[in-house]
Amino acid sequence: MTSDYSSDQAIVRLDGVHKSYGDPVALNGVSLGIRAGEAVAVMGPSGCGKSTLLNMIAGLDRPTSGTVTVHGEDLGELNETGLALFRRRRIGMIFQFFNLVDDLPALDNVALAAQLTGAPTSQARKRALELLDELGVAEQRDSYPATLSGGQRQRVAVARALMNRPVLLLADEPTGALDSRSGEQVMDLLIDLNQMGQTLLMVTHDPRLARRCASRLIEFADGRVVRESTLERAA
Amino acid sequence: MSAVWRASRAAVRRRKLQTTIIGVVVLLSTATITIALALLAAAAAPFDDAFSQQSGAHVVATFDSSKVSDVRLAQTAHRQGVRAAAGPFGEAVVVVPDGTPGIAAGPLTVVGRSGSDSPVDHLNLWAGRWPTGPGEIVLNSRPSGRGASFPPEFMVPLPGGSKLRVVGFASSVSQSAGAWVTPDQLAGLHPQSVQMLYRFADPGTDQSISAGLATATAGLPSDALTGSQSYLALKKAVAGQTDAYVPFLMTFGVLGLVVAVLIVANVVSGAVVSGFRHIGVLKALGFTPNQVAAVYVLMISVPAVVGCLIGIVLGNVLARPLLFGVFQGLGVESVSVSLWVDVVALLGMPAVVALAALGPAMRAHRLSAAEAISAGGAPRVGRALGVQRRLGATRLPRSVSLGLGLPFARPARTVLTMAAIVLGVAAVALASGLTSTMTAYGNAEELNGAYQVEVTVGGHRPDRPAPTLSDTDTQALLRSLGAVRVTADAWQNVKFTGSTQGLNGQFLRGDSASLNYTMVKGHWLDGPGQLVVSGAFLRQRGLAVGDQVRLDLGAKEVPVTIVGQLMAYDPDGVLSNWDTLMELAPGQRASHYMVQLAPGADADAFVTAFQKASGPGLYPAKHANELNQATLTIVSFATLFTLMLAAVAALGVFNTVVLTTHERRRNLGMLKSIGMTPRQVTVMMVTSMAALGAVGGLIGLPLGVLAHRLVVPAMVRAAGIDLPASMLHVWHAPLLALLAFAGLVIAILGALIPARSAARLTIAQVLHNE
Repeated sequence: MTSDYSSDQAIVRLDGVHKSYGDPVALNGVSLGIRAGEAVAVMGPSGCGKSTLLNMIAGLDRPTSGTVTVHGEDLGELNETGLALFRRRRIGMIFQFFNLVDDLPALDNVALAAQLTGAPTSQARKRALELLDELGVAEQRDSYPATLSGGQRQRVAVARALMNRPVLLLADEPTGALDSRSGEQVMDLLIDLNQMGQTLLMVTHDPRLARRCASRLIEFADGRVVRESTLERAA
Repeated sequence: MSAVWRASRAAVRRRKLQTTIIGVVVLLSTATITIALALLAAAAAPFDDAFSQQSGAHVVATFDSSKVSDVRLAQTAHRQGVRAAAGPFGEAVVVVPDGTPGIAAGPLTVVGRSGSDSPVDHLNLWAGRWPTGPGEIVLNSRPSGRGASFPPEFMVPLPGGSKLRVVGFASSVSQSAGAWVTPDQLAGLHPQSVQMLYRFADPGTDQSISAGLATATAGLPSDALTGSQSYLALKKAVAGQTDAYVPFLMTFGVLGLVVAVLIVANVVSGAVVSGFRHIGVLKALGFTPNQVAAVYVLMISVPAVVGCLIGIVLGNVLARPLLFGVFQGLGVESVSVSLWVDVVALLGMPAVVALAALGPAMRAHRLSAAEAISAGGAPRVGRALGVQRRLGATRLPRSVSLGLGLPFARPARTVLTMAAIVLGVAAVALASGLTSTMTAYGNAEELNGAYQVEVTVGGHRPDRPAPTLSDTDTQALLRSLGAVRVTADAWQNVKFTGSTQGLNGQFLRGDSASLNYTMVKGHWLDGPGQLVVSGAFLRQRGLAVGDQVRLDLGAKEVPVTIVGQLMAYDPDGVLSNWDTLMELAPGQRASHYMVQLAPGADADAFVTAFQKASGPGLYPAKHANELNQATLTIVSFATLFTLMLAAVAALGVFNTVVLTTHERRRNLGMLKSIGMTPRQVTVMMVTSMAALGAVGGLIGLPLGVLAHRLVVPAMVRAAGIDLPASMLHVWHAPLLALLAFAGLVIAILGALIPARSAARLTIAQVLHNE
């Protein structure tokens, strides 16, 4: 079973993507598509190629063969600077371990994404504060990552990912490093974002996360898509 | 111990880049310090070795043979304080006529000795043989290393038409004579003096030598002793030239050593910080704290020893041309790097490096296993947060403000890196100042291009006939062809009355004031009976400007007044005017002309025109204004050392950026994931070091200027040169402004490559797995 990735509505399209790191093959002829507004979960055992898929779509890595197109841009035709500008404009990323800059307070961590585009500091901070407020961590604006809880850190990371209004939000095990309560909060956040129209692709080991947040599930094994299914979101 | 060795070996393999940096830093520092020590060791060695081998005379004393008998002089050998003596030897002065092939014109002090062996002043007969009978002579000459030949025409003419055939060359470390003949032959030269050669029990100082001579000659007629020459003056003359190199070499050597220590400490600290987990694993495996510290010290010692060994070889290779350049004029056949220099470098450098590694290694020693293993897993508390926040609020591009904040995150590393830059900049500034001073000195030595054409007069060599034009006609011809100023000179060996030591007299005629000799005291020649000499000349003879002496050319003596002191180093040279020469040697012709042309005149065309018009015997040539060997040697080596030190400092920066990249790879990955371009990553990393470079430049520059102010006077003192103040004041605003950027250049050059590789960092794995 394959998705209708050739549809004009596909915001992400992979065509016969292979990726190998020497002997082990990470991706083996993956073709799939993601439509705008979808929330897609990718699941599979460790080493099956889930994170490699995310790297390909984010332009953090290049396929050995095949094409990756995101929002109409063929990533294979972009150089490193082009890929950086693509990520800046189109992609927001959320990581399992948050990846916040330890030396910067929450507000500056979020504002950073806009400042790199050349946005004035005051404007970037204003937008960052709005986002922190929306995500319920405005009070922690001046706190440093080391003093925040795991859930708060991930909310700050989500705010940073949303800073430049990305067309695609990529999440790599977003609840993997959180306790169950914080995990629930982040799940709710992702659902809200998707319901507001944010396209979401998440990689997870957690079936609960997939069932609660995703409308479609792609299952991976040995670098291939082995099954796709539509999900009814759990309450 | 084997576990420690295995762990160290693995650490060396894992840190190939840092191992290479340590190796290269130690290599360059060892090479620098080896060269400096080699010269320091060699500076005194040639004279001391030769003096010891030849049982040199502490004093060469000359007596009037009409005032004291040989028997009484022989008795002086047994006086208290005299350890050994040789003589009395008869002494005569032969005036070598102008144009004698292979022998300088002027008075030649000839001593009668039955052989080269002697308990004092054993001569080094390095070519030919000792005279066996009348008509033969051995000349005093420094070993040339090229051997010597004795063509039949190589003769010393004597009054009356007879000649002495040169049958050998010998060198005397005591400079006791210009030539030697058999005692029988000397009798034929009508000697009026005798010489005694003494070695004293206490020859340490000028005072003790004077006291020894006074004791030895006590009881002799008061006016019997006509002159004496101390070995200390000779030694000073020999050592002066080499000693001049020591201050700047030692400065660069010490700078190299300190920079090496700073960078090694930085590298090891970085290895400890970035190897926290490794340390934790080692401790968890059962390594004791001492073993962990030993792993880190050993890890550094391996590349340090390898770098040290290669550095010693490089230092020996580079020291040879320097030593040759320094000693080639001193008659020394070969000078090599002393063994103790290599031994000190071999033992000292790794020891210094190990000491530098010990501090950070002790941090690994103290670290608990749990703390070490968990390091990196949890977010750490940021540093210098206020600075980061303030920088984030500025209008600077974010990549720049982030870069400016990086040095504050690791203050100790920042201090070590900046100290290396500071010393690198100080070295650059010192070398620039040294180059400016030495170039000004070299140009002054070359008379600042005061003449563009020189004409050598033939008649002094068999292959160069005497000119057909007279002096007056030559001078007139030069002026008719466009010469603006013409100065003629003649060289004549002279001596002071009562001294055996020959002096190189240069007698000038014409526009000599236009030659721009740099004067330190007094004034240039402006009348007959005047002398100008160097400071070294005055000091060696205890004379001063204003003193009156008598110039002696065998049969004639002329009273002269020392009217000026020259900048140049020439302990045996005197300059005087033509009138003085005419009193000593009437009718002597000029041997050389120095011709100043109008600005913009074509010197080549002048030479061609003069060649056509002058006929045979006059040899014009364009005068090349080249720096002298000492200037070239100092400038070359200062440049070399500076490049080495700047490279070492840049390596320190390189290492810091590599460490920062390694530690911050997670942040870099995140920044790239949110759209930081490779260019922005490069700008951030380079900015972090450029800031240090800018501050380091501002601190290092005054240090370099200070070092110049200390090193140059020390060199000048050692060399016996007297520099005018203008040559020390070389720091002008444009040069200082340029040098202030040296730190920036070092920092940017050191940071660029690792910053670019940080920009290309593959971040996917880092982001997902950390």
